[in-house]
Order: sequence, then structure tokens, then C-alpha cells
Amino acid sequence: MSAYSVTEPTRRSKLVAGVLVVLYTFITLLPLVWIISTGFKSGPDSISYPPKVVFEPSLEGYVNLFTTRTRVGAEEFENLPPAETWYDQIVRDQGMVIAGPSRFGERFLNSVIIGFGSTFLSIFLGTLAAYAFSRFKVPLKDDLLFFILSTRMMPPIAVAIPIFLMYRELGLSDTHLGMILLYTGVNISLAVWLLKGFIDEIPREYEEAALIDGYTRFQAFRKVVLPQAATGIASTAIFCLIFAWNEYAFAVLLTSGTAQTAPPFIPTIIGVGGQDWPAVAAGATIFLLPVMIFTILLRKHLLRGITFGAVRK
Amino acid sequence: MTDFLRNLIRLRRGPWEMVATILIALGVVMLMQPFALALFTWSFLVTLVGTVMFIIVSHFPE
Amino acid sequence: MPNPLDAAARATPPTVARRIRGLSDRAIAWLFVAPTIFLLLAINIFPLIWTVRLSFTNYRANRPNEEVEWVGLRNYIRILTDDGIWANMQTTAHFLFWTLVLQVILGFALAWLINRKFKGNDLLTTLIVLPMMLSPAVVGNFWTFLYQPQIGLVNYTVELLTGTPANSFSMLGPGGYAPWSIIIVDTWMWTPFVMLICLAGLRSIPDYIYEAAEVDRASKWRQFWTITVPMVLPFLMLAVLFRGIENFKMFDMVVLLTGGGPGNETLLASIDLKREAFEKWRTGYSSAYAIILFVTVFGLASIYVKALNKVKER
Repeated sequence: MSAYSVTEPTRRSKLVAGVLVVLYTFITLLPLVWIISTGFKSGPDSISYPPKVVFEPSLEGYVNLFTTRTRVGAEEFENLPPAETWYDQIVRDQGMVIAGPSRFGERFLNSVIIGFGSTFLSIFLGTLAAYAFSRFKVPLKDDLLFFILSTRMMPPIAVAIPIFLMYRELGLSDTHLGMILLYTGVNISLAVWLLKGFIDEIPREYEEAALIDGYTRFQAFRKVVLPQAATGIASTAIFCLIFAWNEYAFAVLLTSGTAQTAPPFIPTIIGVGGQDWPAVAAGATIFLLPVMIFTILLRKHLLRGITFGAVRK
Repeated sequence: MTDFLRNLIRLRRGPWEMVATILIALGVVMLMQPFALALFTWSFLVTLVGTVMFIIVSHFPE
Repeated sequence: MPNPLDAAARATPPTVARRIRGLSDRAIAWLFVAPTIFLLLAINIFPLIWTVRLSFTNYRANRPNEEVEWVGLRNYIRILTDDGIWANMQTTAHFLFWTLVLQVILGFALAWLINRKFKGNDLLTTLIVLPMMLSPAVVGNFWTFLYQPQIGLVNYTVELLTGTPANSFSMLGPGGYAPWSIIIVDTWMWTPFVMLICLAGLRSIPDYIYEAAEVDRASKWRQFWTITVPMVLPFLMLAVLFRGIENFKMFDMVVLLTGGGPGNETLLASIDLKREAFEKWRTGYSSAYAIILFVTVFGLASIYVKALNKVKER
């Protein structure tokens, strides 16, 4: 960059811009910080007025998230043997005893299974299709690509009715497989569009050289294109994972027990007299953490992901 | 303007896509406007015509 | 003398050689595309056609044994002449309009500021983007806590800044604030989306255009309106269309935040549709409702793809 450029902002304008953006960042992160900090508050601290900024950290929320608790009679409570573990003690301090584990672990595991399953399937099918769209003359290519993208735009509730009926017939309702297929159906459009962009960027000469060396198309695809597209595939995978991870509408309409993921579960965490906010916040924190990490990993490809590969920076 | 009409008659993609886009936008506005129930009633038909037209005309030559 | 057949074999284009060795390109192309198309047909198109079919009947999914009657266009006519649904559409429009206005203004302003390239702008961009990657359901649920009149952060901050007692108003209760509450949360979540796309637009403007304008002694103000805005506009269109489509079918965040209430104040069309379909079980009727929403989204989506291709050419 030259020493002087008319387009380079002055130092003062940089300073003003920086201050304003920092201010916005502060405001926008406040709810997020509030979620995380509420997870470490005790029940009374979480609902105190005025809201507490400084508080004594407690793991009550996390313990309550993973357990179900019951109240026992005063006399019986007095006669209980001393608490064996630290989490036992935390529950005792609330005047209750642990009755068993909660379903959060299961729900979280479902999110993992369905998220990773559908991501794997979308990437697998998407890479194949994207390669074909990128390299070959597919008849009606533009129509097919539009068709693929338009499926992404469908209102979930609009297709949920027949999918609900269809799954009921096929015995897929409330199963992991059903949800994996469903999320793959939604994600594959993003996968195809994004991956097509990434594969378009790999020079054709690489494959052509491989073909001349005696590789078949298939080998060239596997040994030349796939390694070159690895970064693109990884970031596409993260985008698919985030979608499946966060999805709520299909999950709440089509699952109730075995295959329910965490998003419909977290809002149903209740304690004494309404939602148990520290536990909700704890669940939210555990649930949001992977996405936050992914976002930071993805930052270079974010823009591409949200524009279906149209904007490459 | 005359160019626009000529291309419309010659079944070119550009102006026809424009017409379809305007129809879709009009339909969406009619759907959600607070002024007349009649406009709301007919909005769906307008959007539908616009959408179908869009799909057809996107195959016209440039 | 060299064998003419040998020479011909050497001159054979690679495609032919490949066809001999493996599958033809055409076959591979179909082999690669077919599973995707098949899956989409099964998961999206088949259900959609089914919805269309159901929309002409009075079928109820909770009474599968009842006789199904064809009712022609009756469902459509009922929906499109229903005052209540028309009101829901206006509720949706209010939500759509204000979220778009706020997100465009804030998103563009932020992008414009970040484009000053001050130190640390990368880090701040990443932090700002976080809310939009979160689960809308969890966000909606947690904001009910932030909006609590007694203990919530929002009311407390308002009290701190303006002196209005925190428990004198309720963001989600009666009093008319609820439609604005959902707009605030959506704007909080999705302003970064508009910002990112605007930023890409701003960065796509080559420096020499500004340099030329500077040579012509155009004022900064003029440069902004004649260079910056028109160059960013296609990008902004993209963002607006996408957010418009997403918010038109918005369900998760709002249903957890307000559930459509109080009364029907935040009853967006998609929440109403969910009630008709999965609470009242009027399957035929709600299928017609779904088709009306779908055609609208599909129409907007075709414009969106056009906008997408326009931006791609840049």
C-alpha cells in the first residue's frame, strides 16, 4: 500500500469508527454474556432485583440441568445420611434430594447423532452433485440448481404436514434416521451450492493432467479434486452442522421422545414455579458453545456460507 | 421504453423477467397490505401467475 | 512406415480414451447428481405435491378413518376471505418491514464503520456475528427471561437509563410492546447478517473509482451517493430478499418468545399455520394455507436467485 492514498481513512475517522463499533459489540454481546453468567448463578441470585452483575458463582444450574430432584418431608430430610458428592450437596442446599438423571444428556446426544449424521450425508451427496455440476454438461443445469436452492426456502411448516403423514406411514416419525434424512434434505441445497463454488475454483488442468496420466474420472475425482477441496468441504460441513444443530421447527413437530434434539428440550426445563433459569442458561451455554467455536473457526468463510457461495470476498 | 416493448414482443428474457418480478412483488404487497380485503383475496392469484411466468420466461433467449 | 491406426489412437481426444477405460462423463454426471435429486424429490417435492392434493380436501390427520371429501377450492376461498388471516398477514408485514428497515440501517452503518479498517476490526466482526449463529429457539426462550418485567435485564436497563420503573411495563405482556419485542430480538440476531453482506459489497468497490472521483473533486457526500450506495445496492438486495424470505416464514424464535400472544398481537402467519395444522388438526385447510405461504416464498426465492446471479457476476 502506498504511503498516501485518498481512499485510506484518516486516523480520526478510524478512531470514531472503532469506538462506535466497540460500543455496538458491547451491547450486542450483553445478552450472550447474560446467558453464560446466569448459568453460574444460584436460583435466588438469578431472579433477584436489581439483576446481579456481581455474584457468588454456583454450579447449581449445571447440577439441576443434569438431574431431576424431589422434595422429601422435613423429618426425613433431617435423618438423611450426609451428602456423598459435591453435586449431592448442591441439591441438598436447595432443600431437595436427587431423584435421578435428567433427559438433557440424551437430548444432547440426539443432537450430536442427528447433526453429524445429516452433515455427513449432505456432504457426501453434495460433493458428488457439486462436482458433476461444476465439471460436466448436465442437462437443465440451471433449472436443477434453482430447484435445489428453492427447496431450502420452503417454509418448514408447509412441508411438515405431509412429512408428518408420510413418516407416520413409513414408521420414521420420532426416529434418528427420519430426522437425519429430513435435515439432509434441507442442508443438501446449501452443500451443493457452496461446494460447487469451491470446486469451480480448482483448476481443471489438475484433473486433466491426471486423466492423461491414466487415471479414470473417478480416480481423478478422488485423488485430485477431493484433497484440493478439503477446506471447502470442511467449512461447508460446519455450516450444515450448525443448521441441523439449531433447527427447531421440524424437531418440535416431528419428534417427541426418542429422537428429540436439544432445542425443543431446553425451553421445557422447569423448576419450582416456572422455568429454572440457571438450568436453562446452563443448558443453553453447553448447547451454544460448539456453535460459537465453529463460528470462530469459520470466520473466513462465513460470508460465502450465508450467500450460498455467491459472494467470495 | 420502445426497446422494452419490442423485446417483450420478441419474447426476450430481460423484460419478461421484469414483468414477472413486478407481479410477484405486487402479489406479496397485496397479501400483506392493510387497506382492502379484496386485494388480499386476489393476492395469491397474482403471486402464482408471477411465479409461473418467472419459471417459463427464464427459458426465453437473452 | 508408422501405422496410421496408431497415429489415430494417439490423436483420440481424452474423452474417448476415458470412455473406454471407465464410465462416460455423462454417466458419471448422472450417477453423481441422481442421489441428491432423488432425496430432494422424496423429502421436499413429494410432500409438496401431497400438500397440494390435501389442500383440495377436508382431510383431518387426527381422524384418519373418516371419509375424505374433495372440496375443490373451498379451503383457498375461505382462507383468502378470512379477516383473521388477513390480520395475521399484516402482523407478519409489520414484523417484516421493521426488521428489514432496522437491519438494513444498522447493518449498513456497521459495515461502513468496519470498512474504515481500524485496528482489531476482524476480531470485532467475529464477535458481532455470534448472535446469528445461535439457535433461534434457545434465543427466543432466553429472551423471555431478559424481558421479565421484575427481574429482566431489559426492563432494568430501561429503568436505569430513563427512570421508568421496571415493573411498570411488560415487553411481552399487554400494552402493545410485544410486536416490537420480537422485532428487537430479530434485529439483534440478524443485523450481523446484513452487515457481513454489505461489508462484502463495500470491499468489492475498487479504490480507483474513488481516486478518480477525488481527481474530479467530487465531495465525500457525493461520492457516497454516486459510488458507494449504487455499488453496494445489489448486495443489499440480496440481504434484504433473504431476510425477507426467512422472516416471512419465521417460526422458531417468535413461537418461543411470545407464542403469538398476547392475544393475537404477534401471531405471525406461520405460527397461525402451525396451530391450524398441528393443534386444530384441520389438515386440508392448513395445507391450502401452507401452499399460499409456499407460493409467496417461492416467488420471492426466484427473484432472490436472480439477485444472487447478478452479484456473482461482480
